Amino acid sequence: MKPETKCKTIEILNLSDKQLTDLSKKAVLSLSLEEMKTVKRYFKKLGRNPTDVELETVAQTWSEHCKHKTLTGIIEYTQEENGKKSKRTYKNLLKETIFKATVELNKKWCLSVFKDNAGVIDFDLKNGAAFKVETHNHPSALEPYGGSATGIGGVIRDILGVGLGAKPLANTDVFCFGDPDTKASKVPAGMHHPKRIAKGVVSGVRDYGNRMGIPTVNGAVCFDEGYMANPLVYCGTMGIIPKNMINKKVKPGDLVLVAGGRTGRDGIHGATFSSTQLDKESDVSAVQIGNPIVEKKVLDTMLKARDLGLYRAVTDCGAGGLSSAAGELGEKTGVKIELSKVPLKYEGLSPWEIWISEAQERMVFAVPKENKKKIVEIFKKEDVEAAFIGEFTDDKKLTLTYNGETVAYMDMEFLHDGVPKPTRLAVYKIKTEKKQKPVKLSSAKLLKSLKGVLSDLNVCSKEWIIRQYDHEVQGQTVVKPLQGNGIEVSGPGDAAVIWPYTVVKDTKKGIVLSNGIDPQYGKINTYKMAASAIEESLRNAVAVGADIDKISILDNFCWGNPNKPEILGSLVRAANACYDMSKAFGVPFISGKDSLHNEYCIGGKKYSIPPVLLVSAMGVIENAANTVTMPFKQGGNKVFVLGYTRNELGGGVFSKINAIKDGVVPDVYPEESKPLMQKLHAAINKGLIESCHDCCEGGLAAAVSEMAFSGQKGVKINIDAVKTKGNLTSSEILFSQSNGRFVIEVRDENSDKIKELFKGCAVSELGDITEEPRIIFESKKEGIKFSEKSETLLKCWKNTINW
Amino acid sequence: MYEIEISSKKDFKDVRGLNIFSEISELGIKGVEKVTYSQVYKIAGDINSLEAKTIAAELLSDKITEKTSVKTAEPSECCSLPNSFAGLQNQSLSLIEVFYKKGVTDTVAESVIKAVKDLGINKDIKASAGHRYYVYGKISQSALKNIAEKLLANTLIQEYKIF
Repeated sequence: MKPETKCKTIEILNLSDKQLTDLSKKAVLSLSLEEMKTVKRYFKKLGRNPTDVELETVAQTWSEHCKHKTLTGIIEYTQEENGKKSKRTYKNLLKETIFKATVELNKKWCLSVFKDNAGVIDFDLKNGAAFKVETHNHPSALEPYGGSATGIGGVIRDILGVGLGAKPLANTDVFCFGDPDTKASKVPAGMHHPKRIAKGVVSGVRDYGNRMGIPTVNGAVCFDEGYMANPLVYCGTMGIIPKNMINKKVKPGDLVLVAGGRTGRDGIHGATFSSTQLDKESDVSAVQIGNPIVEKKVLDTMLKARDLGLYRAVTDCGAGGLSSAAGELGEKTGVKIELSKVPLKYEGLSPWEIWISEAQERMVFAVPKENKKKIVEIFKKEDVEAAFIGEFTDDKKLTLTYNGETVAYMDMEFLHDGVPKPTRLAVYKIKTEKKQKPVKLSSAKLLKSLKGVLSDLNVCSKEWIIRQYDHEVQGQTVVKPLQGNGIEVSGPGDAAVIWPYTVVKDTKKGIVLSNGIDPQYGKINTYKMAASAIEESLRNAVAVGADIDKISILDNFCWGNPNKPEILGSLVRAANACYDMSKAFGVPFISGKDSLHNEYCIGGKKYSIPPVLLVSAMGVIENAANTVTMPFKQGGNKVFVLGYTRNELGGGVFSKINAIKDGVVPDVYPEESKPLMQKLHAAINKGLIESCHDCCEGGLAAAVSEMAFSGQKGVKINIDAVKTKGNLTSSEILFSQSNGRFVIEVRDENSDKIKELFKGCAVSELGDITEEPRIIFESKKEGIKFSEKSETLLKCWKNTINW
Repeated sequence: MYEIEISSKKDFKDVRGLNIFSEISELGIKGVEKVTYSQVYKIAGDINSLEAKTIAAELLSDKITEKTSVKTAEPSECCSLPNSFAGLQNQSLSLIEVFYKKGVTDTVAESVIKAVKDLGINKDIKASAGHRYYVYGKISQSALKNIAEKLLANTLIQEYKIF
């Protein structure tokens, strides 16, 4: 029997509200009743029912994934603090927080923000640097390998699809997984074990990234049982683009060309599916399979065509497939497409399936008629399939035909601006965080805690993962993810530095990539969580030598169900933190993405994930050689900590392993941190810093230990010398996770220069580095002294993840 | 149709088999003594046995570390015991075979189809790529099903058979 490939008319004009809701659910449209009614009104005006193609097109275009309805919708927000309520209405949360900060900062070096597939900033006179980070959570929960592979494949295409196409230079990957030691019997039916998800995700990223010939240079992995059924998979790509190719312009009459992979039934409903919760019955066709070899060929050939100026616009086929890609390019002009011309993997696809399939590795181009032959020749040479499927018009309509018969005819304006703005309620109750009772552990218990912290899943070495990735390919990675004296001896680098000399000839400049993510803080205070993530990403970048005045950041929200007012309220708080921090540090957001509805269902009960904001930072530096790494370099050198240590154990690793109740979550103090970061950049450029490491998870004790064991050195630290705000015990000083701190190594003869340079900032001289590899912490005031061999602590850090 | 099975030679480490073996014990399933792994390709089309052998030796395997077996199989036999297993069958050996479900993009198979042409065999073929895990030890059907679903196959996109 031949499968049905006809276009059907869907009856909606005479449906009741309940029937409309049922239809949306049954056909996986993920449209709300309000939206279904808007669709009904539109077609009533046209005097006919929609076709299945039209209905699917609306669903894709209006999906949360493509339109970000929550962040750009109306939010009525109520905040409660000390019993007092205050209200505020946001007409568009994104525009009134994150985007607003960027507009107000008005940095001239921001070349393209929030309008294209990636953000672009100034690199040098002729080139820009583009950066984008995306999530691929739901597909990775169902098929970890394919989900993460297509995640990285998709974000690489975002970089190919920015302007007229950037050349990808580096990937970053950040994951949140459930506890890998979860008992198999505790994993709900129909879901994968967290360890299986973790392994699958890592191999997916490895296989796709490595085969594309793009190094994976930076990342992070967080573990928390809240991510068991709903892992978070963030993939990012950075690229270089000539400045004269940052803008695209489609002209009526240009041809629509689709190049790369063929279209199949893969990933149907990916965009609408990402707006629904995960459960046992999740839609099977939402899985996509990646093929890096095809994408690599597309990359190589399209950059050739770009340099010959053969097309006027390009975008990738991501969520929503052709419907999104062609729809976006033709938004201002109109477009007419013949669906039967799209190359298919196999027969039997209905027109609507062709239109919204999320089959991978496809790019859509707007090609002037005169270049028709030339561009196809270029693709043909490398065996890349390319087909002309239609043309851009000037009627501002979306016209789709299938074998000549019209299957969709709609106004672009209705598609892109017709979505009704929902009004959502948000509430947030600000709780006062309580300081814990003073923590005074004995020397023996402090050493035990240090070992516990270093081997904790959220601090320990991710070497097992990092070494599977190629972080060297293209030969431009000058500061690498693992740093130390050898393959067996390493510590965690704070950020990666790319020196793009193969793309930009004779350049000395470098690009710094880093990230910040703190899911544990988000469980207590989402404002501080977001602020901390921003500061952490900046701190990591500055630690290797980035200039705080030339850093841009990306936001990636992963949140639970925004229909619940408390959850949306916590999102509003985080968005406000983004505005405040962006302004205070003078660091603009250039792009972002949100993945809401991260909710899963176990035994009929719904759970939302611990909300988290990933902040990814990209900085441009004048000289890639003026960068530092984190291992201690030389015995006899001095160790300083920059920044104040505060009593902030809330959400920290130390509190978790010692079961400490209460505790204040680390806050951010830009008025202290920003000048400190500016001075550190100056010090690194003057060659005054031998090594530098940021102080974060595990606090000062973990940071100092990592620097010592990765350099196979020892160190003697005087705890009493640490400058604090407020009274702290030795235990609290060692493990508080206060933001804004760096540990630096300075040669003895430079000590005075450092003290002079950092005048006005908190600078504490902690002690000396020793050639004898033993790490010693001492407080005469409290009678505390403990020590351990560097190698022993290295093993604690290294041996947790060895799958 | 030809069925090509590739496995490690005796003196070379069967990394995938060893890996699965340790993962089975992590799952808490007892009684498994050993696991060996083979990659399987099913190739249909107008090729002869010499060509199938060339494909196995030149394209799909590493002559130094891997051994190959090339057998003919009727498509109608696809649901019965694979040839490689027929002689081995006894109570303390089970086989789990994993292939993609129909309609799921099989990128390895796509590469094989292209590479066969690059090899100079200019014929239209169909291919599919799968995996075979030989599990040694007396294990219950339910434990085998557990191994298959928890470790070896993602039933969303793959199907498995236990022999």
